[in-house]
Order: sequence, then structure tokens, then C-alpha cells
Amino acid sequence: MFTQRLLPLALVATGLAPLAPLAHAAELRVLTHDSFELPKPLIAQFEKQSGVKLSIIKAGDAGAMVNKLILTKANPIADVAYGIDNSLVGKAAAAGVIEPYAPAGKAVQNLPNGVVSVDYGYVTLNIDKAWFAKHGKPLPTSLDALTTPVYKDLLVMPNPATSSPGLAFLSANVQSMGEDKAFAFWGKLRDNGVKVAKGWSEAYYTDFSRNGGSRPIVVSYATSPAAEVFYSKTKLTESPTANLNLPGGVFQQVEGAALIKGGGERVAARQFIDYLRSVPVQQALQTTMWMYPVNPAAAIDPVFRHADKPAGVKPADSQAIAARGQQWVARWTRVVLKGGQ
Amino acid sequence: MGGALDPRSAQGRAVINRFDPKRMALTLLPLAFLAVVVVAPLSRLLAEGWDHLSANILTDAYLRWRIVWSLIQAAVTCMLTLLLGLPLAWALARFDFAGRTLVLRLLMLPFVMPTLVAGLGVLAPAGPHGVLPINGQDTPWLLLYGNLFYNLPLVLRAGVDGFAAVPASRLAAARSLGATPWRAFWRVEWPAVRPWLASALCLVFLYCFSGFGLALLLGGQRYATVDVEIYSLVAYELNLGDAGALALAMMAITGAAALGYAWVEKRLAAPGRVEPIAPRRPATLAEWSWLAVALAMLIAFSGAPLLAVLGCALAAGPEAWAVLVEPDTLAALANSGRFSLIALALASVVGVAHALIASRSLWLRGAVFLPFVVSPVCVAFGLLLLYPSWTASLALLLSAYALFAYPFIAKAIAAALDALPASQPQAAQSLGATPWRAFWRVSWPWLLPAFRRGLAFAAATTVGEFAVTLFLSRPEWMTLTTLIYQRLGRPGAANLAEALVLSALLMLFALAAFVLIEWPTPLERARRALATRPPAATELPHA
Repeated sequence: MFTQRLLPLALVATGLAPLAPLAHAAELRVLTHDSFELPKPLIAQFEKQSGVKLSIIKAGDAGAMVNKLILTKANPIADVAYGIDNSLVGKAAAAGVIEPYAPAGKAVQNLPNGVVSVDYGYVTLNIDKAWFAKHGKPLPTSLDALTTPVYKDLLVMPNPATSSPGLAFLSANVQSMGEDKAFAFWGKLRDNGVKVAKGWSEAYYTDFSRNGGSRPIVVSYATSPAAEVFYSKTKLTESPTANLNLPGGVFQQVEGAALIKGGGERVAARQFIDYLRSVPVQQALQTTMWMYPVNPAAAIDPVFRHADKPAGVKPADSQAIAARGQQWVARWTRVVLKGGQ
Repeated sequence: MGGALDPRSAQGRAVINRFDPKRMALTLLPLAFLAVVVVAPLSRLLAEGWDHLSANILTDAYLRWRIVWSLIQAAVTCMLTLLLGLPLAWALARFDFAGRTLVLRLLMLPFVMPTLVAGLGVLAPAGPHGVLPINGQDTPWLLLYGNLFYNLPLVLRAGVDGFAAVPASRLAAARSLGATPWRAFWRVEWPAVRPWLASALCLVFLYCFSGFGLALLLGGQRYATVDVEIYSLVAYELNLGDAGALALAMMAITGAAALGYAWVEKRLAAPGRVEPIAPRRPATLAEWSWLAVALAMLIAFSGAPLLAVLGCALAAGPEAWAVLVEPDTLAALANSGRFSLIALALASVVGVAHALIASRSLWLRGAVFLPFVVSPVCVAFGLLLLYPSWTASLALLLSAYALFAYPFIAKAIAAALDALPASQPQAAQSLGATPWRAFWRVSWPWLLPAFRRGLAFAAATTVGEFAVTLFLSRPEWMTLTTLIYQRLGRPGAANLAEALVLSALLMLFALAAFVLIEWPTPLERARRALATRPPAATELPHA
């Protein structure tokens, strides 16, 4: 192909040829979102057992990663992908980038369309405990309470158009209230001063009152209070933040791995998915990626007792998100950022 | 004046460029690089969405407002940086003081800071928990402050170098003929500094317009620029038709700005012998106060957030400092060094080659800014579509680094070439030197300071990794900047503290690079010593 020749030529011309990737005998290309992290010895162990070299490629957050998979469908850039969650699985399946795989073994959460669940977690509101204690305010008991003057200018969330937790929170609202009620709620929330940040990091580190900002309520993860203890500077016995699990304000996220249609190294790719579900990885991922394991044999890390696990939350409806997600984001942008209806 | 001797004529220019056998390669190299890394991927992405391309998206009132807002804030920032930068630059260029060279190197640090860290630095003094009794969060003031933090250094550095390049003899002549300092400024200094400022302001405009910066972070999504819109259309909605239409509309505006700059620079180009004016110690109280105010302003606008980050890093305590010796950090530091070196080498080759052809036409001159004119997310996704088997290759990542770094080198050298009297290489050639030898022995020493200045800015962009998150990456390619982002991607005080310590390390690393790049050569030191010597000899004629 012309373009395939053009690039190497240009690279030779610019003196970069020695850096071009060399063909490895067996290399498994794993596409992941940016949050993927496992201890190095565990990865080395897999390489040793399977005899392939892992080439981990980070492709932005989960939403951007799935779109990159879809765009390169004709020439897959990976053999296996990790990080496709229940809000994206419908889109990925509809675009035909997934080769179904069903491993043996039980899981506490599952995904449709031949994507193998690996871990799960919750997107929910987090509060700054010290702020609420200092200001003597009661905690809101419903999402609607957030639209009242008591909670004016207290909430920050990442933009659903540029952040997966933002989109997850919006999806939870819509699925619980129905579209019309949900967007009426967002209109009121806009008038009550909700702040929209670009991504989770911006919201958590520059707007959340626990860090640089002034807002004591932030859209984050249910495991964040546990992570606050794990990554605290002085040994904490109690988390400085807490979950605020409100009805319609909790999104259950199930993340999974999938074989990529047209990818190579099928045997190793299946082995990798099985490995992600193995007990050592399931135990490790809890404190590297801050998700709950789907393998019931994996023990829950003690630090997770600081995370108040939301109960009775139904997994999100993947089909509805795949079909309507884009319209929700467009309407949310219209209501919250453009000030429309 | 004869055509061949007039440096502004085509023949005069061609002297510099006449490497006949190599000339084709010289022309082709930067153009091929741009074609492969920018034009082809962008075209590929546009082609992908071509069937759905419609201008309908531009009729959306909200989007039109976004475009207008992008223009307004970019224009306001240009004005402010100019108004503030000019007197500051003059003071830094004319007055000598202990540590002046260090200040000039430190000036570039804001450029290196990841946006999120800079945001933390701004909020530390002026946020809700700030040391100062003001809370600027969510006010337009903090937005402007954020824009000044990143862009003032650009204008300031250009101004300092521009004022230093004012012909000393002309300034002295104007003054001895009785011109007031004010008049001398307008008639001699201002015309000389204009081309420098024009190019810096063009960059400020392009940066602000495409939403690179702190404004977005500090102001929330209400202040989003159109680039955020394009990003979400491409990366989240895969709506390539609308994204393409929007990207083309934006390119029309930024492209016009780049061409406008090229035109201004071409028009203002004035070759002439430069006897750099050495700074002198302030003599009067007024001069001392001017310098003090200038330095205070510099600290307030560009230094405070950095000092805040540094202060937080120092206060973070030994547990957080331990991150400095973690294997991950050392590997990241090594990668940052290695990648910057390779990217800078590539950027230097392409940058010098582009500068040498830039004088041939307005288009080639404007094309220097092409990497800042196109939408980075469109290029990133275009690369993915066009070279799927190369997307996760280090070569492509480094090419992307070089792409965003090389305009600084090309721009600096192109400007220095404008000022290069054609008579010099001509004389060398008439004495029998080959064009290559004439270039290497006569023109290059002249261009060297400009090259090193451009290189310093290029280094700042590679270390700061502009748009890095858009490209595919691998864990083993972790650099200091990506390591900082990784820490800030997780909750917890220890992560924040480590991110700040790593940011301090990033600053040190960048500062070391700037100092090394602009380390004075023996020739420069000699010149400086000569220039700062009491001007006894030059006063003889008056005696």
C-alpha cells in the first residue's frame, strides 16, 4: 500500500529508522484505557507462562479507546482489548469489532456480546466530610435536593462529553428518572450552579474542596474514599471523603476484555483474558485500578471497607446507552452548557 | 542598489539557499515531513467523514458563540501580553542585574508545566484555600491570569531578544542628535522589535484560540474553546463529518492568522548589521524602580504558580520525596531525556531546512505554523487511520513531538535569516568558498543564537509534551509528564503530593535543559565582556 511505504520512507529520510518497531516472533497487542495498571511481576509471569511478549498500548480513556478500535476496524491495531465497559459494549458490538469469547468459570457480573467481564465498580457522588462538618450542613438525601438553594454551587462533575465517569453519572440519572424528568433536573441543577470540569482529574484536584477547589460534592467512584486511605500521607483510620449514594445517582460499571475481530495471536489472546480473570490479577487490580473483582474466589482487599459499596443498584442498560447515549450527551450539553431545554 | 546585492531581492536571498545538488532535498525534507505527519493524516480523516460533511454545524448558535469566544479571549490575551510584556521586556533587555541570565532561562518554565499542575499552582495562592485572602476561582480574572501565565513568557522572551538586537549605533546616533528616550524608542527601537513581537503574538493567538491552556481548566466548561468541541466530536461521538466541517472552519481562521503573520514578518524584515546592545546596571532611582516593578510583575504573573508548586513540593515531606528514587521515576526521567533529545534532533533538521526555504514564498513562511494551525485531535486520529500498523510505534510518537517543536526553530532561524546581510555569504563565495562552506562558516555562526533560542522553546514543548495524551502510548514510554498525569488520575493526598514533587523535578530537568542549550559560547562571552567594558574608546571622537 502506498501509505504503508510512505511512512517508513519518510522516517528513513528523517533518520528515525532505527526506532521503527522490529518484528517480534510472538507479540500480543493489548489495547487498554489509560488507567490500566498491574504489578510488573504479574505481567512478567504471564509473558513467561504464555511465551508471548505483551505489548500494552494505552489509547486514552475507555470512550476514546473504543472509538479508536472502531476507526481501525479494517486494520486492527490490537489483538485484545481491556476496558470496554457496559456503557460502550453495545457500541463496540454494533460496529463489529468484537470476536465473542466465553471462558469457563463463574463471574459475579457479566457483559453481553461476547465481552468477558473482568471487574466492576460504581460511579457515585463523593463528599468532603470535613467541609460538611465545618459548615454544619445536612447531607442531601435525594438528587432533587441538590437543586435546592441549600446546595447551591456545591457540586462539580466531569463533562459527559469528555469523560466516562461524567457520562456514567448522566446515564444513571436518565435511566432512573426517564429522559424528560432527568433533563428537567439538569436544567434546575444548572441554575443551582453545577460546575462542569473537563475530566475527572480536573474535577477532583482543582474543584473538589478536599483539594484545590470550593465544592464539597464531586462525581467520582465508590472506591475513591478507600483510595484516599490507601494513598494517604499519614496513616488514616477513617477516610476524609465518603460516598453519597443517592437513588438515580449511582452507575454500576462493569469493565471487560474482548478479542478483537481480525486480530492475531488467538491462543495467547484468550490466555490473556483468562489471566485477567485469574485470582492473582483479580486481587491486584483492586488497589491498582480501584475496581471490585468479578471472580468470586478473589478476596476483597481490607482497604475496601472504607468504600461504602452501593447496594441494590441495577447494572446499566447497555442497549439503551448504545442507542441513545449520544443524544443524551447532546441534550445535556444543550441544557447545561448552552442553557437551553 | 544592484539586484544581486539587495538582500531583499530574490537573487539576494537565493545566495543563502543555493546548495544546488542539495537544494531539492532541502526543499523536500520539511514539506515531506509535513505531508506525512500532518497533511496526509488530516486529509485521510476528512475523507473518512466526507460523505457526512456539512456546514450545518456552523449554523448552531452555540458553536458560533464558541468560535467568537475563542477569538475574543485570544485577541484579549494578545493585547494584554503585549501591553504588559513590552515594558517588562524593555527593562529585562536594558538593565543588568545579578541573576539576569537565570531569570531569562526561568522565564521558559511555565511552558513546560502540565496544565493541571499549573492549575494547582494558580489555585494554591488564589484559590478557595489559597494563601492570599482572595478567591479567584470561577471568575474571569483567573482566566486571564491563566492565559498570561502561559503566554507572557513568549512575548517577553521575544521582546528581550528583539530589544537586544536593536542596532546600538543607530540608537546612540538618535540620542546624540537630541532625540528624547521616548522618541528614540518609537523611531529606532520599536521598528526593530516589531517583527519579534509579531511572531510571538501570532503564537499566543494560535495557542489561545485552540484552547491550549489554563483558561479552560480554571473556568470550567463554560469557557471551552472550539477545540474541546472537535475533541468530543472525534474521540467520543466519532462524528467525523461535523468534526471535519468544524476543523476546516477553525483552520481557515488560524491559517489566516499564520499567513497574516508571515506577511507582517516579510514586510518588516530588515537586514542589517546588529551590534547587540549589552544591558547595563540601572543608574537612577527611576531605572531601579522600573526594574523592580518589572521583576515583581514577572513573579506575580508567571512565577507565583511555579513557586506555589515548588513550595507544596518542598512541604510534601520525605515520604513524598521518596518518589524521586522510585524505579518508575528514574525510568520516566531517562525517557524524558531520551525522547527530548531525539525529538529535538529531528526538529532541528526539519526546522533549519524549513527556515532556509521560508523566505521563498509567503505560503512556505506561513506553513511553519502549520502544526499549530491544524486540530491536534484530528491529526492524531488521522494518523491512526492512515498508518494503523505504525500507530503504537515510538517513531510516530517522536515525530509528533518533533512536529510541535520544530516551528520554534524554523521561526527563529527564518527571522535571523531576514536580518542576515546577503553581502556576507556573498563575500565568502566570491573569495572562493563553496555555498555549503560559506553557509557553515559565515551564515551559521550568525544564525546560531537564533537556533539556540528556538531550540530552547522547542525543548520546552517536547518536555511539556503538548497534546501528548492524544497519541497512543505504552507504559514503558512513561515520561515525567505522563507520570504526573498518572498520579493525578487517582485519588489520595499521597498521589497529589507525589505529583507536585514530580512537577518540581520536571521544572529542574527543564531548567537544566534551557541552561545547557543557551550556555554562552566563548565568542558570546567575549562579545559580552567587550560590550560591558566602560566605553572609553568610543568616547574619544567626542573628546
